Amino acid sequence: MPTSKIKFLCLYRFAAAGWPAKPSSPEQMQAQYAAWKAWMTKFEKELIPGDGLLPGGSVVRGGNVTDGPFIEAKEVVASYGIIETDSLARAVEIVKACPIGMDPGASVEIRQLGGYSG
Amino acid sequence: MSEAGSPPGLPDHYFRREFGRLVAALSRRFGVHRVELCEDAVQTALLRAVQSWPQRGPPEDKSAWLYRVALNEVLGALRRERRTGVSAENAERLAADSSTEEEVYLEHEVRDDQLRMLFVCANPEIPRESQIVFALKTLCGFSTEEIALRLFNSDEAVYKRLQRARTTLREHVEDLEQPALQQLASRLPAVLEILYLLFTEGYSSAQPQQMIRRELCEEAIRLGRLLDEHPVGAAPETAALLALMYLNAARFDARVDGAGGLLVLEEQDRSLWDRELIRIGVSYLHRSARGERFTRYHAEAAIAAEHCMAPTYEATRWQEIARLYQMLDTLAPSPIHTLNRAIAIAEWQGPEAGLALLEPLHPPSWLLGYYLWDATLGELYRRCGERERAVGYLTRALAAAPTHAEKGLLQRRLQACSISGEPRARK
Repeated sequence: MPTSKIKFLCLYRFAAAGWPAKPSSPEQMQAQYAAWKAWMTKFEKELIPGDGLLPGGSVVRGGNVTDGPFIEAKEVVASYGIIETDSLARAVEIVKACPIGMDPGASVEIRQLGGYSG
Repeated sequence: MSEAGSPPGLPDHYFRREFGRLVAALSRRFGVHRVELCEDAVQTALLRAVQSWPQRGPPEDKSAWLYRVALNEVLGALRRERRTGVSAENAERLAADSSTEEEVYLEHEVRDDQLRMLFVCANPEIPRESQIVFALKTLCGFSTEEIALRLFNSDEAVYKRLQRARTTLREHVEDLEQPALQQLASRLPAVLEILYLLFTEGYSSAQPQQMIRRELCEEAIRLGRLLDEHPVGAAPETAALLALMYLNAARFDARVDGAGGLLVLEEQDRSLWDRELIRIGVSYLHRSARGERFTRYHAEAAIAAEHCMAPTYEATRWQEIARLYQMLDTLAPSPIHTLNRAIAIAEWQGPEAGLALLEPLHPPSWLLGYYLWDATLGELYRRCGERERAVGYLTRALAAAPTHAEKGLLQRRLQACSISGEPRARK
């Protein structure tokens, strides 16, 4: 039986207190760039690029529009992406190798897509 | 200084170097009094690059991309400032600037911008140590923490020095109006001194932070070359300074043994000296010989060249080195130079001759507490067979030696004292 790929939405969260994080030096940023680049290259067959999320925006709740909070104020979602792979276990494995793990207080929420829209 | 070969795709220190280039370019546009704003904008641009380049791949012209993002950041910040009515002067400047938003990022202009920044930071109102910190931050792209680590200073001390430089630049309007580089040319001696101190700071100590301190030497050489490539900085003394930096850098690897101990010249494996760097150093030394002036950089470069060209320690032209130290001492009088001259004379004419130069000296108190003074006297007395005096001086030197490597060296000499009290056979 052919195993079909499953899609997972990944939400990359940072601790709100540290976001925007304490500025890294250019040298550190270059190291971060290299780490992200290496990670994305290593798993390029399974990673579908998402995007970063800018701070701000609006929340519509019961017809009322507010500018937040989106979720608990303790953390912010800084970006999202999709992993298309065989299993949740594999998605977890990929995320564990992600450089975001170097950031204390950061977390990644992995959710399987329902596939309702086909 | 490598421009290629570092995976994946960005040259070593690309972000750090780019930081310096962009801050210099933006500071020309918006004034040196805006340097902090420019630094923040460049910081943001680099952060954007970290966020977006890994996914999409870096843009074809990375520098232009970063410049555009940083420029928009500055303009945005100025617009916000204008809205909150900070000052009318900003509005004026902004109007003048917005028309040039599409300005291209020209390589040769950026080089000039960096040079201008180097001359700006040589403002005589800024204390030397603040100038160095400012150069490391603004031109080299090191963070406050990284500078503190490299200068063996606390974060606060570095921050204070940085603020001192920034405040002075804000208060001294002559630098704010973006003077032509030529107008700043009279500051060349100060600029050279900054680079010289930057280099010595990186060179003067070995372990434990050898690798990162070496970056100070690389930065000094990089900025020196930048200076040398421009008519305003291409003076014979600039070539002499570059010669002295290359000729000393050539011996970097040979100065440290396998265990991280510092090796004196005599103990170094000369095959580890970098022939290519020596070649470059010597060619700068030749170029420095144009013109009438003979500066301390000429003297120091010539001394370094003598060491580099000598096939062995024994075959070193000590007489020539002693003569050069005498010239150096005349150009830049310092008991340290006399001390070095005494070492050369001791090699040339024997330890007694070296001591004869040092014994009548009345060294200033700072020198008496300086371990090299004690270490040299100790070594010369040891060679003369005056074991007791030797042990006294070497023990004092040991207590004051700043690094483990240097302590190790003095311990070896002290041991040599107790093993053989015989005067060293002189040729």
